[in-house]
Amino acid sequence: MNTINNIPNPPLAGVHHTARPTWKLRETIEFYRDKLGLPLVHAISARGWPEGHPDFLHFFFDSGQGSTIAFFYYIGTERPDYLEPRPSHFYSATHTAWRVDSAQALDVWRQRLEALGVPMKPQIRHEVIESLYLMDPNGYMLEISYQMRPFTEVDARDALLTLEAGMALEDQMKASGTMGAFESIDSVWRAKGSVIEKEFLNIEGVTP
Amino acid sequence: MSAVIFVLDVDEFRPLVMAARDMPSVEVSGPSQGYFRISSDQELEFHRKTLGFKPALWYGALTGGLLGKITEFSRDTLRIEAT
Repeated sequence: MNTINNIPNPPLAGVHHTARPTWKLRETIEFYRDKLGLPLVHAISARGWPEGHPDFLHFFFDSGQGSTIAFFYYIGTERPDYLEPRPSHFYSATHTAWRVDSAQALDVWRQRLEALGVPMKPQIRHEVIESLYLMDPNGYMLEISYQMRPFTEVDARDALLTLEAGMALEDQMKASGTMGAFESIDSVWRAKGSVIEKEFLNIEGVTP
Repeated sequence: MSAVIFVLDVDEFRPLVMAARDMPSVEVSGPSQGYFRISSDQELEFHRKTLGFKPALWYGALTGGLLGKITEFSRDTLRIEAT
């Protein structure tokens, strides 16, 4: 019988493309190709298929290391209300973050985008990355990041402990039908802290 | 139970460990299994500007986990009481 562990699971080789719809053909091409300087590397124009699908243009810009960002322009359609940009964290959570290899490169990008008048949010230094945030003509959020150190096994194990605490709280929330303890991040921190404390008790004999 | 925070053994969170080592009646142990353990019988208190943390790092400073009760987590002050 197939189980999750014995079904072949070949590694992925990176991003080929992410894709979004656009209703601004010229502005999108001028933004990505000219302002960001990403080469236009491929486009397909096609009769819509299967039946009912609008005719479309589908085009790709090179974003480095074999990755591309792609757009669909659906001919004869208008952007539906539910795809209008919204000033919401939920909306901007969907974004693409590109990598640069140095803090200097990030500075140069910021200077370029400022010089070209591209709308940006304040630069943010996160835990392991520093990021520029910019908005494309469609209202899509983009990010350019410099990662200050590589992820390690310590990060991976920490991520698992954080998310195991989160999933347990989500399970409790679903089972009880109420928010319960999962109303703030404090519950995650406490649940995770209890797990790590047990490890310290076992290894170091810490007296609580 | 003491007020305890666990701090991941990585560069960006190191200022928490360095600051705690200078605090009277605060104990720092580890790193063990990737974490430092910072504890106090009464209260732990940190200040963002002293640590040199930008806001994104500051508001994620407890991501390693804790024991106790957060009594203040403002833009510059973090206070955790023993429970």
